[in-house]
Amino acid sequence: MDIQRGNIIVMDRRRGTLRAGQGLLQGLKVVWDHWVGSFRKNDNFSQIHGTFTIEYPDERMKLPQAYRNMPVLLYDDETGQELCTACYQCARACPPEVIHITQAKDPNTGKMVPASLEFIIEYDACMSCGLCAEACPFDAIKMDHFYELSTDNRMGLMQRKADLNRPVSYYTSIAPDLWDEVKEGAMKKLQGSIKRRPDVIGIAGHLSEKIAARRRQLAAEAAASPPAPVAAAPAAPAGKLSPEEKAAKLAAMRAAKAGGAEPAAEAPAPAAELSPADAKAAKLAAIKAANAAKKAAESPAAEVPAAPLDEKAAKLAAIRAANAAKAAAEAPAAPLDEKAAKLAAIRAANAAKKKSE
Amino acid sequence: MHDVINHLINTVFGLGWPGWAISLIAYLLIATILFMIVPFQMLFLTYFERRAIARMQDRVGPNRVGPEGIFQPVADGVKMFTKEDIVPDAADKWVHLIGPGIVVAPTMFMFAVLPWGPGMVPFDMNIGLLFFFAISSVSAVGLMASGWASNNKFALLGAMRAVAQMVSYEIPAVLSLLAIVLVTGSLSIVDLITFQSGLFISSSDVPGIPDFGLGWFVFTPVGFLAFIAFFIAALAEGERTPFDIPEADSEIVAGYMTEYSGMKFGLFYLAQYVLNFLLCAITAIIFFGGWQGPGVGWLYAQAITPANPAGNGLFNVLAGVLGVFYFLAKTYFFFFVMVWVRGAYARLRIDQLMDFGWKLLIPLTLVNVVSAAIWVGLTKWGAADGLAFVEGWAPLMRWAVAFVITLVMNLVAYFFLVRVYSQSQDERARLDDEVLERLTNVA
Repeated sequence: MDIQRGNIIVMDRRRGTLRAGQGLLQGLKVVWDHWVGSFRKNDNFSQIHGTFTIEYPDERMKLPQAYRNMPVLLYDDETGQELCTACYQCARACPPEVIHITQAKDPNTGKMVPASLEFIIEYDACMSCGLCAEACPFDAIKMDHFYELSTDNRMGLMQRKADLNRPVSYYTSIAPDLWDEVKEGAMKKLQGSIKRRPDVIGIAGHLSEKIAARRRQLAAEAAASPPAPVAAAPAAPAGKLSPEEKAAKLAAMRAAKAGGAEPAAEAPAPAAELSPADAKAAKLAAIKAANAAKKAAESPAAEVPAAPLDEKAAKLAAIRAANAAKAAAEAPAAPLDEKAAKLAAIRAANAAKKKSE
Repeated sequence: MHDVINHLINTVFGLGWPGWAISLIAYLLIATILFMIVPFQMLFLTYFERRAIARMQDRVGPNRVGPEGIFQPVADGVKMFTKEDIVPDAADKWVHLIGPGIVVAPTMFMFAVLPWGPGMVPFDMNIGLLFFFAISSVSAVGLMASGWASNNKFALLGAMRAVAQMVSYEIPAVLSLLAIVLVTGSLSIVDLITFQSGLFISSSDVPGIPDFGLGWFVFTPVGFLAFIAFFIAALAEGERTPFDIPEADSEIVAGYMTEYSGMKFGLFYLAQYVLNFLLCAITAIIFFGGWQGPGVGWLYAQAITPANPAGNGLFNVLAGVLGVFYFLAKTYFFFFVMVWVRGAYARLRIDQLMDFGWKLLIPLTLVNVVSAAIWVGLTKWGAADGLAFVEGWAPLMRWAVAFVITLVMNLVAYFFLVRVYSQSQDERARLDDEVLERLTNVA
């Protein structure tokens, strides 16, 4: 039945003047018609006699293409490259703020790369509004049709990137028309991002053969052009500092600064005398940092060419941190300084550890 | 059964047991068989009802447990058995405990006089019909006891409603049966069934009518009106929609069953469905000939009966099978009608229920009793009873005259009473509106 907006439909309920008891019989007739009709299945909702039941676990309703349940991430079928560039538009658009992204970094240069390192969506708090998919300029995040998400594990609905990745072919199977609309632009943008992705960053993690293929391809490219000035991974120029070194330096600087600025900082503080506990803590931190650096140096470094560099950097950081801590301890230190020194020492130790690993 | 046991023990084995032992064994066997059949009937009826009502509401109904959900009632039973039995602290523990038993027991007693097929009646009582209805009203005591003992306002309300409804609807039910008893002149249920042989005209009314087992009372004006009135009363007695007021779940939770859980609740359910089965069965027996149907009478005539000891035992089985088939087919048809009515009508209000029972059904059945008396006078009486003028008429003529007169009487009574009733209802609605206006100042 096609009902136009604003039209008045007069239903013929076959209700003439009722004689005694006739209304009851008419009621029975209606129910009988439904009973007889119910052995047939209805095709659409304009039919009023017959069952509509879709016996759910056995059969499923055909969902409309624009149906949206939970967001997923797309990756290209051929190359395995994810469409996501970690631009944070979805995270900004998300009303319940359940999208968390870490952008990937080039390990050599430390620069941000248009790819996500980790991508987390908390499905349990997601409200399926689809704003993330609307906001995504790269068509990398799309609303999935899958709705059987129940889990017996509290963290079962925290979806990491590995759980969210879906091939584009999957999305075309559930929403072909919607994908056709955006396909061209999305793939073009993807090609652009691939160019800016070094090594195998941006390839879906579970596609090991795709990663291997990309590695081979990169190796072949490198072999084809031996004097590759860009690929400076093994021998970093002396002038340039590695990110870890940078971080260590920064930490040391911060620690020194904290130590230096301490008299100014403590001026408003009423208790200006040095407490032995603070000094002890600062010393302890310095020792810890030194130990970590030593350990890092002792550990059988896996990357032979990088090892000396790391060791050096870590040692340097530790020494600097220790110095800073010492300086802080020697000066009449307020709890604030002590904290800063500790932080710096911990940072330096972490950096060293990471490098050694 | 008695004869079979007697034959087996005393003739085949030659043990020479006394008559009382044979009778005891025979009745114990019958009771055992019945008590095994009854819960299965109940299980099947619940499944049947759920499936049928689902179809009427354009749904599918339970279809997951077993093929097409046939084991759903078994699953429900397991659930009932494993549920915790909760007795409220403030309840009268003992009455609360025996309440469901008092409700179930009468329904089991009623099977004692229920004929399943030709010669297949547990006990042919000469006051079977009276026994049946007298026993059925005992369950009202159980309902009241359990409702009161629960110490719950909903349970008490439900019990009060149940008793009020049962008491007021026994009257039209028994009055409509009284008309039939007038016609047959017997209270024995077996006699009622044998009376209904023939073809649209009972062969007891008009001798010489071929016996197709279709001389049902429902084909006479007296029987038809009695059937309608009785079936409505049966709906009320069985607490079926539209008369399920005692357990109206949207008003008073579950009525007298509110404070029951587990198997005690299951017993109420059992009692209710068994009572419904029995009411459908008695409707089929009294108005639709019970096991009477084409072929049963002829088959039974060849069988071993007290009247025909030289018969063939095979025909006993054949007549029994066919008779039970007819009987159960009719019974299930009436149960389907109950489900159908449940699917179609809304629940009545308690005052509407009382109005309908007392102001329409009882006058109607009273008129029907008079009609039945006229029917008996015209078809059976003669000069000795003071009706000399019908002596000369042929039996068919007498039957036809009785048919027309009772039909006219019943129709006139029906339309007159319905008009009076609907006027009174309109008046009542108008008064209600007036009161509402006065109270709310909104026209």
